[in-house]
Formats: sequence, structure tokens, C-alpha cells
Amino acid sequence: MTQQYLAGELSVLLGHLQAAATTEASRRDAWSLRQAAETQPVTVLGAVTVAALALTERLCWDSLTRGDMAAFNRQAAVCAELHDFGVCAGLLQDP
Amino acid sequence: MADSPEAQDPEAQVSEAQIAVHWREEEYYPPPASFVAQANAADPAIFGRFAEDKFPGCFTEYADLLSWDAPWHTTLDTSTPPFWKWFAGGRLNASYNCVDRHAASTPEKTAIIFVPEPEADEPVHISYAELHRQVNEFAAVLRDSLGLTTGDRVTLHMPMVPELPVTMLACARLGVIHSQVFGGFSGAACGHRIADSGSRILITMDGYYRGGQLADHKVKADEAVAAARQEGQEVDRVLVWRRHPGQYASQTPMAGGRDVFVDELLAEHQGKTVDPVSMPAEAPLFLMYTSGTTGRPKGCQHSTGGYLAYVAGTSRYYQDIHPGDVYWCMADIGWITGHSYIVYGPLALGTTTVVYEGVPNYPDGGRPWRIAERLGVTIFHTSPTAIRMLRKVGPEEPKKYDYHFKHMTTVGEPIEPEVWRWYHSEVGKGQAVIVDTWWQTENGGFLGSTLPALQPMKPGSCGPGVLGVYPVIYDEDGNEVPAGSGKAGNICIRNPWPGIFQTIWGQPDRFVDTYYRKYNKDPDSKDWHDWPYFAGDGAVQAADGYFRILGRVDDVINVAGHRLGTKEIESAALTVGEVAEAAAVPVIDDIRGRVVEIYVSLKPGFEASDEMAGKVSTAIETEIGKIARPKNVWIVPDMPKTRSGKIMRRVIASISNFADVGDVTTLANPEVVDDIRHHVQSAKVARDDVPRQLTEAEFEEIKKFGGE
Repeated sequence: MTQQYLAGELSVLLGHLQAAATTEASRRDAWSLRQAAETQPVTVLGAVTVAALALTERLCWDSLTRGDMAAFNRQAAVCAELHDFGVCAGLLQDP
Repeated sequence: MADSPEAQDPEAQVSEAQIAVHWREEEYYPPPASFVAQANAADPAIFGRFAEDKFPGCFTEYADLLSWDAPWHTTLDTSTPPFWKWFAGGRLNASYNCVDRHAASTPEKTAIIFVPEPEADEPVHISYAELHRQVNEFAAVLRDSLGLTTGDRVTLHMPMVPELPVTMLACARLGVIHSQVFGGFSGAACGHRIADSGSRILITMDGYYRGGQLADHKVKADEAVAAARQEGQEVDRVLVWRRHPGQYASQTPMAGGRDVFVDELLAEHQGKTVDPVSMPAEAPLFLMYTSGTTGRPKGCQHSTGGYLAYVAGTSRYYQDIHPGDVYWCMADIGWITGHSYIVYGPLALGTTTVVYEGVPNYPDGGRPWRIAERLGVTIFHTSPTAIRMLRKVGPEEPKKYDYHFKHMTTVGEPIEPEVWRWYHSEVGKGQAVIVDTWWQTENGGFLGSTLPALQPMKPGSCGPGVLGVYPVIYDEDGNEVPAGSGKAGNICIRNPWPGIFQTIWGQPDRFVDTYYRKYNKDPDSKDWHDWPYFAGDGAVQAADGYFRILGRVDDVINVAGHRLGTKEIESAALTVGEVAEAAAVPVIDDIRGRVVEIYVSLKPGFEASDEMAGKVSTAIETEIGKIARPKNVWIVPDMPKTRSGKIMRRVIASISNFADVGDVTTLANPEVVDDIRHHVQSAKVARDDVPRQLTEAEFEEIKKFGGE
């Protein structure tokens, strides 16, 4: 199957996640996920998506804890994008 | 039921196809009479022309759609299998075929309609005469300002703008091999591909619109150049197209002596024409990178003559493109679909192709249908993922707009019948045929599909092999799995076809090993019959000859002959609310070949228990069937993972099989491996459930499980 485009779209969203990260460590984590999406077989994309959602959740909690609503809003938006894409691409189960 | 295989095997309550995809056989949908009446392929005699006894000569019908500088002397040269040479001895130029001949015959006809993402911006219509001018002037830049010549490689990292096909066609005009990297990829990914291809020139753009923002794209060029340098490849020049000529959309400074604006260079070459270089049919046209199962990406090398003939032929018969159509493929040109079915196929046929810059659901889910209405699109082509997304954001949107598709394609993944029906009834308004397609980056064009006027549609199945392509399903031992048996296996293509890629750039051994070694019985054979192409996808073939594609074969566990998708098993486990992650692995079993074991980790606040394990097991059995019931459910505090978060299935598969786990030092959490091993193996020893020692082949299978 010509599924490479799923890797591409996920890479774009992980780029958004990188931009929304608020610490150097979380930016590195997002970067690692993006690298995995771009270089690994498409069979790993589901796992990358799950890991990316877990990272956005951590970021959101961290922003809430700090009371940084602007960061929270950016991160939540990325989270929603990732989730919708993951479900539509069949990488995540629709709850 | 008494005679059915399911009845004989109490474990097998459902067929393998159902296990893999949970789909039942669907009803046929005939094409509308209005479509049949105008179709390019409406006479069943075409099947005779492409019958197996007409191979390979049948493909001259595709080659005859092109203009050749010199005729070929051999339709298929098999002298160095599996490095096939199509139309050997022939010479042609792809740019000439896609531009010049139409510019001469229909200069005012629109070749490309560019739709900018900002909806207030007018679509840009580029005629064939205008495209000819732009391609020639940019070819002059490449040749005269950069000194590029036949066989050089140039990496493109460009978004969905008309400058991208202009750049590709200018390269093709000179015999320069283009390698377009998807514009959304990072600079680092682009850099790896620059290094692999040995490009010294990068062509990019300063910015582009996506999701309402003007994204800074040039910044990635600097990352790409740095990444390539780390791998020993210097980039001499970076050519930067400007999204708005005269204005710079990036915050990144231009590097002196290296970076140059294309519009400034073009000013020196206004009105220049460049004679198209007459290329051998087997000369490489482009590289298209795809991820592999090991780290290094694979540069799929596509030919000029065979590829162009194949995409022209499949565009004519399967896309049913007529010169008067307005054709819109919503893919990105950065993928093979865009190369074959936005640029080369449609333009070779002299039709009008739409290039849309942005995301389909911006600013809302009605955008694609407004574009279709405004431009009078007649043929629409997209992926199941995009269809699902558009259905989610605007299920009622299509009916609000007055457009009329005669033909719609889906590409990239299997489409669920339910989604297919929405596409048919809502997007197509019940008036359009749907062509579901199966193929790969490596293949150039469609391999499995229905000829739309002659073969009925069946939701969820891509159809039979396309004209002149003879698929077969083999089991692991190379035995043919008969159609209608209900058994799945590895889908292969028995014969070469003109669109097949020539090799992996710089890695010919990997090309042979990955795609041909598995079912080749005689490596010295010069007979193409001995070199079936191994696609790497699992499939099942119904009695009517239609194929249903199940997914990558490296993602399957074979239990008593039943192929279970690990993704399906894991998805079933994840339906248990307490489960955070799941990973299914095979365990060698003397009776059933392989059995499934599943590892799960729980969400915070939940404790491992026998009851929890039972819930997971029941969920899998309920969702998939008894055949998928795991032999063991292991609840672990964490999964062994790579730093990128990928669960290392080979490590846990090795633990379950009492095999050496190999090197775990690069894991993000190597400390969990010993804990899991102790927990699992001590429990197995206590239950007298220790598998026998693995054979060498079994050990290799386990070691490679999960693709890493």
C-alpha cells in the first residue's frame, strides 16, 4: 500500500507538537517521535501516535499546573489534531 | 455448516479474512450507464488484448500513448533479472511528452489549475503554452546557471505549488533525476535523502500556506544541508522559490554564496528554450524515497519510458481521463500518487490537473466540494484517511454543492465498506464510479483495481489485477493459495510490468533481497516467470478474483494457518478501559505453529490481577474470535521501548520464547527487560509452559518480529 503519506501527515503534526512543547526535554521527545515517523516502517505509526498523545497529555497537565493557559490551548489543539488524524488514519481506535 | 472448515476446527469460528479486517463479502455496484457510454475502456475486448499470452507485447498499447524519438527494439529485456528493462532501445523525453506536444496542439488549454489555500485568492490557470515557457526557463536555470546535466540528482523539498511540477518537468527535460521529498517532512529527513541520493543541489520554497498560516519552509533547508553534511554530502546551492515573488516569507537569512532566489535567476533566462534531451527508455526519471524496515530509507528508482507509459496507460483506462476532464487528485506530489497521478499521468494525456496547496478541511469540511464546484472537477482522487476526515468534519457538506463527479478513486489503504458507501452516495452523489486501487511506491502505478466500465465495484476490495498484471497469493512455502479458499497469504505479482521500479538507489542487493529473493527458485534464471515480485502485503482473494488487502505481512501472526493482524489484536486489547498499551507477539507452538501472547500495561491507578488478564482475553475473543485468544496475557509495569516510543516487540517476543533478547542497551528503558523476563519466564516455568528450543529459522523470525 502507498501509505507513506500517513507518515508525512503525522510528521507535520509532530512538527506542531515540537512547536508547542515548552521544555527542551519535551521538544527533544517530540523530535524523536517525528524522526521515527519519518524513518521507520509505516507499521510503527500507531505506536508513534499513541506516544505522541501521551506526550501532549503530559505537556497539557504541566501547563495547567503552571497556569499557562496559552501553552495549554496550543497543546490541546495539537492533541485534538493528533487524535483526529490517528482515528481517521486507522492508527488509533475510535473510542 | 457441518462441512465447513470452521466446523471442523472448533477454534476457527470466523474466516481469516474476517479475523484480519472484520469485513464480510459485499455486494457489487455496477457502473452508471452514463459512465460506460463515455469510458475509454468500454469494450471487453481489451481483456483479450492484455491476456497473459499477449505479455509483454500488450504494453505497447500504453507506450503508444507517448511520443518517442526512437522506437524500442525489445519490449521487455530480461537479460539481467530482476533488473527489467522496458522498451529497450527506445528514446523519449518525459517533459516533451507532458508539455511540448500539448503546447503545440492545444496551447491555450489549461494544464494546471493551482488553488491557493487562502480562499480569497483566485485559482491560477496555467495553459500548456505557459507551462512550456516556465519549464523551459527553469530548465535553462538548471543547465546554464547551475551546470546540471543528464544523470545528476537534484533534491526538491517543495510544497503543493505549481512551481513543483515545473521543477520536476524542467529536470526531466535535461535528464536530471529529481528526488522530491514531501514538503511537510523535517529538514533532517530531507538531509538524509540528499545524502543518500548524492544531490549537490536543493530546490525549496520560502513558505507556503497550510491550515491558515504561512509556514516558514526555508528554515528546513538549513537543517537539511546540515544533516546532509553530517553524512558527508555537501550541498553547493540552495534554490529558493518565493511563494510571493519579490517578497521573502521566511525568517531565515539566505546563506551568501549558497542560497539564491529562483525568481532572480529566472530573470536572466527569460524567453529561453531548452531542447528536451532524448533519453534512453531505461534512464532514471526520478527517485522516490520510502521508509524501510531498517534505518536507511529506500530510494526507489523509476525509469523514463516504462514508468511514463504505465502511468499514461493506467490514467487513460483506470482513471478514465479524457483531454476535456478537470482532474483533481488531492494527494501531495511528494508521494508516488502525486508523481504518477497529479503530474506525469494526467499531463502525458494532455488533461487539466488541479494542484491544491492546503489541507482539505481548511477552513471547513466544505472546502473540497467548493473547489470541485468552482472548477468543474469531473474526476476526484483521494485516500481513505482523507475521506474519513471529511466525513467526520462535514458528513452533510457534499450535498450543499453543485458539482458532479463521474469518477472517484481511493488510494493508499483499504477502505471500509461503510466509508466506501458514504463516499459513493454522498461525495459521488450515487452518480460516480469508484476505483479502489492497490499499489505501492515501488510500483509506479496501480496493480489491483477495477476497470471502471467493465468490472463492477465491490466495497472493501480493490478488485482483480489490472490489465497485464497477474497477481498471485503465495503461502510462506511458496504454494499458491487458490482464489475463494478464504485463506490469506502474501500477495505477489508473477510478471514484470512497465511501471515497476528499477532498483533501490545505490542498494541493488537490497532490491533483490527485499522484493524478489523470497519466492525466487533459481537465482540464475533469465526467465521472468521465476522472479515473482514480493509486495510485502497480506491479501485474500475471493472466488470472483477480487483481492482484499490486509496490511503489511510483517505485522501478522500465523496461528494454525490463520493470519492474525497484530494491530487488530492490540486494538481489541485496548478496548479494555484500564489498558494503556498492548503488544501482541508470536510464541512457537508445535501444534498450531504460532500462538499469540499479549503484553499489556495498565493506566495509572490500576493493579494487575487475574481478573484484568481475563478481561483482556475476553475482549480479544469477542472482537476477533476464539482463534485470536491469547495463550497468555502478561500485565507488565512498562513495555521495553525505543527512545522514540516504539514498543520493542522483538524483545518481548524473545522473552516469551525463551530466546536471547539481543542488544537492549539502546532502549529508552532497558531496566524493564530483566523485570519482564523474570516475571514471564518464572511464571512459564511454574506452569510447565516452556517452549522447546527454537530452530535457527524460528529464532530469526522472532528476532525480526516487529520490524526492528
